[in-house]
Amino acid sequence: MTKYLINRILRGLLSVIAVVAIVMLLIYSLMNRDQIFAQDSVYSHMKSNAREAYKMQQWEKYGYLDYVPYADYLKMLLQNGDITQDVYNEAVKFGDKASEDSAVVAQYVKEFKDYYESRGYEFERKDADMLKNKYKDGGKPYIYAYKDTPLITRLWEYITGIFRVDNIHYVKEDIEDRGLEFTLYDPVYGGEKFSPAIIGNGTQHKYLLYFDSQFPYIHQNLLTVRLGTSYSINKDIDVFETMTNTQGSYVYSTVTYPSGVVAEGADNLHSATYVPNSLENGTVVIKDRFVDNYTSVTANKNGLSKMGYSFVIGIISVLLAYIVAIPLGTLMALKKDKLIDKLGTIYIVFIMAVPSLAYIFLFKAVGSKIGLPGTFDVDSSSKLMYVLPIISLALPSIANLMKWLRRYMIDQMNSDYVKFARSGGLSEGEIFSKHVLKNAIIPIIHGIPGSVLGSLVGAIITERVYVVPGAGNLLTNAINAYDNGVIVGVALFYALLSVVSIILGDILMSLMDPRISFVSKER
Amino acid sequence: MKEQLVNLDEFNMSEEELFSQVNHDSLSSEKITAPRYSYWRSVFRVFFKKKINIIVLSILAVVILFTYVYPLVIAYDPEVTPYINLMDGSSKHLKPGAAIDKFGFSLSWIFGSGDKGQSTFDAIWYGSSISISLALICALINMFVGVVIGAIWGFSKKVDIFMTEVYNIIANIPYILLISVIVLIMSASFWTMVFALTVTGWLGIAYFIRTQVIIIRDREYNLASRCLGTPILRIATKNILPFMTSVIVTLAATEIPSYISYEVFLSYIGMGLKDMSLGKLIEAAQNAMVTPGWEFEFWCPVAVASIITVVLYVVGQNLGDASDPRTHM
Repeated sequence: MTKYLINRILRGLLSVIAVVAIVMLLIYSLMNRDQIFAQDSVYSHMKSNAREAYKMQQWEKYGYLDYVPYADYLKMLLQNGDITQDVYNEAVKFGDKASEDSAVVAQYVKEFKDYYESRGYEFERKDADMLKNKYKDGGKPYIYAYKDTPLITRLWEYITGIFRVDNIHYVKEDIEDRGLEFTLYDPVYGGEKFSPAIIGNGTQHKYLLYFDSQFPYIHQNLLTVRLGTSYSINKDIDVFETMTNTQGSYVYSTVTYPSGVVAEGADNLHSATYVPNSLENGTVVIKDRFVDNYTSVTANKNGLSKMGYSFVIGIISVLLAYIVAIPLGTLMALKKDKLIDKLGTIYIVFIMAVPSLAYIFLFKAVGSKIGLPGTFDVDSSSKLMYVLPIISLALPSIANLMKWLRRYMIDQMNSDYVKFARSGGLSEGEIFSKHVLKNAIIPIIHGIPGSVLGSLVGAIITERVYVVPGAGNLLTNAINAYDNGVIVGVALFYALLSVVSIILGDILMSLMDPRISFVSKER
Repeated sequence: MKEQLVNLDEFNMSEEELFSQVNHDSLSSEKITAPRYSYWRSVFRVFFKKKINIIVLSILAVVILFTYVYPLVIAYDPEVTPYINLMDGSSKHLKPGAAIDKFGFSLSWIFGSGDKGQSTFDAIWYGSSISISLALICALINMFVGVVIGAIWGFSKKVDIFMTEVYNIIANIPYILLISVIVLIMSASFWTMVFALTVTGWLGIAYFIRTQVIIIRDREYNLASRCLGTPILRIATKNILPFMTSVIVTLAATEIPSYISYEVFLSYIGMGLKDMSLGKLIEAAQNAMVTPGWEFEFWCPVAVASIITVVLYVVGQNLGDASDPRTHM
C-alpha cells in the first residue's frame, strides 16, 4: 500500500508540474506581455528610452527575460578584477550615439555586444532622444542586452523556489553576530513572560519559531512557501501570503518595541523581516522603535485571511450539505415515485438546469426580504452575514449529493443480494440501513476530501455576489489584471489540491470498504 | 377456474364439427413471431405517453420560435434606433406599464425597457439566439469528439494509459484560465468562444464514455461476439452503441443547458462574449439589480435563461429515459 501511495503521489506531483508548465506556456509565451503594464502608473508616466528600459527591468523582475544593462557588465568585470576602477569610470560614460563614443568605450561596448550575443542575447543600443541639445523626457541613451527565459529554466527556478528555508546567510550586507539565538523569554512580551522563541540574526525573518495566543499557538518562519510574486493585485506580495494574511481593520494593543519603547500599535513584531538600510533611512518613528534592520512588520488585523473566509463558509456549507442530503436522498430512494421523490426531483432539476448565477441572486433577494444581511462586512461581528453565502453554497451541493445518492441506492435496491436478503426474511429497514446505504454511500465518501479541500479555494460567484473577501476571486482578478505570478501560483495551488483530494478520496474509500484495495494481492 | 368449464354437449355438435386435424407445417414452425419493433418509434411512443413531455415540448417550440424567428420577423439589430433610444432619457429603465403607456401596446414592451432605452423583450430573444446557438454548436462538437475519442479510449488499453495521464493534467488546468487566455489571444468573438469551450471541453465527456465503454466492453455477450470473430468496429457500432444511446442522450441533455449557464457565468465575471447574449444582458443588468425599482430588468433575462435551460434539460432527460430500450416494454 505504501509503495502504491508513493507511486500515486509522485505521479500526481508530475502532473501538477505539467499543469504549471502548460499554464506558464499559456501566459508567458502565448499572451501579449505588454499587457502587464495595463495598470502600472509608473509605466504610463515614463517616456521614450526610459520607458523601454523600465519595461525590460519589469520583465526581468517578473521572470519574462534576463536583462543586462551595459553598466552591470562593467561592474561584473570590475568585481572580477578584469578592469581597474579608472578604466571602469572611463568605459561607463558612453556617448549619445555610437559615433560619439571614445575609443575605450567603443572597445568595451563591442566586447559587451560580442560577449552576450555569443550567449544568445539580443543587443540593443538606444540612441539619445534629443530636442534642441537637450534630452527629451526619458531620452537618455541606453545600452543593454536581453534574452527570453526559456520555459524549462523558468519552470525549474519556479519549482525550486517554492520552498525557501531561512538561513543565517540570507542577508548579503556585512553584519556582525550572524547566528541563531534561543531564548525562553520572548522579548516581544517584554522579556519577562515565559515564552520560548528562536531568534535569528542574518536570516530573513527575525523570529524563526515563536508562540502566541493565536491558533495554532506555535508558529514558524523557518520554511516559507512562495507561490509567485504578484505584480498588480497585491504588488510585490507573494500569492501564498495574499491568501493567508489577515484582513480587516487594525487591532491595537500595547507593544514593547525592540528599543524598549512601549506604545499602542497594531504591529506584529513576530513578523519582522530584514530590509537593508531600513533603520538608517527610516522615519523618526522607526529609529525610535527599532534597533536593527528587521523593521518590516505586518499589522494585526481583526478579520480572517482570504482563505480563512472561504474555508469557514465552505466547510460549514459542506457539513450542512452532507447532513441534509444524505437523509433526503435516502428518503427519495425509499419513496421512489411518491410525492417526496417528485418534489426532490423538481428541486434537483431546478438546481442542475438553472444558471447558478440566477439562483444565487434569487437567494440573495429572498434573504434580503426576510432581513438577512445581503453583503459581507469584515468589521461587523454579526454572524448573520455568513448565513446567505453558506446557504447559497450548500443548496447546489445538496442537490448534487441527493441526485447521486438516490441513483446509487436505487441501483443497489435492484441488485440480487438485496432480493436474496429480502427472501431470507430481513426487514426492509434492516436491508436499507445495513446493506443498501452502506454500499451506496461509498462513492459519496470518495468525494468528501474533495469538497473539504475545495472549500479552501472559495466560490467565484457566491463570493462576488455577497462581497465576501475570500480566495475565490483571486484567479479571475489576476487574469483580469494580467498578474502572471498570481495566475501561476493559484493554478499550482488548485492542481495540488485536486491531486491530493483524489488520493485522499481513494484512501478513505479503501478504509471504509475493505473490498477495495489498490494493491493486487498475491494468490 | 371451475365455473368457466364448458359442457361441450350444450353445443349440440358432433365430434367432427367441433375438432379438426391440423397438419404439421415445418415452414411456419421456423418462423418466430414477435410484435413488430422499431426502436425510434418506440422511443417516441414512450416519450409522448407522458403528458408532461407534450407540455414541455410545446414550451420548447415557443422558445425556439421566439429565439430564431421573432428577431428575424422584427428585423432586430442591437445597434439601430427603433430598438435603442439612446437620446431619449425618458425611455430608459421603464417598467412594463410605463413603457406600454409611452410607446403603445406591442409585444416588445411587455418586459419594459433597459438602460439604453431598448426593449428588454426584443433584446432577450436576440441574445437567446446567440446563447442557444453557442450551446448547441459547442455541445455538438464536444459530444461528437468526446464520444468518438471516449470509445477508442475505452477499447484500447494502450490509449487508456496515455489518455488517463493527459486527462490528469488537462483536467487540472483551471478552465477559466484557459478560456480567458484564448479570449485574450484571439478576441471575444462567437467563434473564439466556441473554440475556447471545445478545446478541452470534450475531455470530460470522453472520460465518461470511456468508463461506460469499459463496463460494457467485457460483458459476456461481447466476449461471445468476439469469439465468433466480429470485428472491433462492428462490436462498437452494433453491440455497444445501442447500449449507449440513452447515456449519450442523457449526457447531451445536461451538456446543452450547462453551456448556456457557463456562458452566463463567464459574462458575469467579465470574460464572456462581446456580442449580445443572455450572459451579456444579465451582466449589463447587474447594476439595475441593486437599484430599487429597476430589478425587473435583471430578472427578465435571468428568468428567460432559466426557462430555456430547464426546458432543454427536462426534454433531454425524458428523451434519454425514453431511449432506454428497457422502458419500451
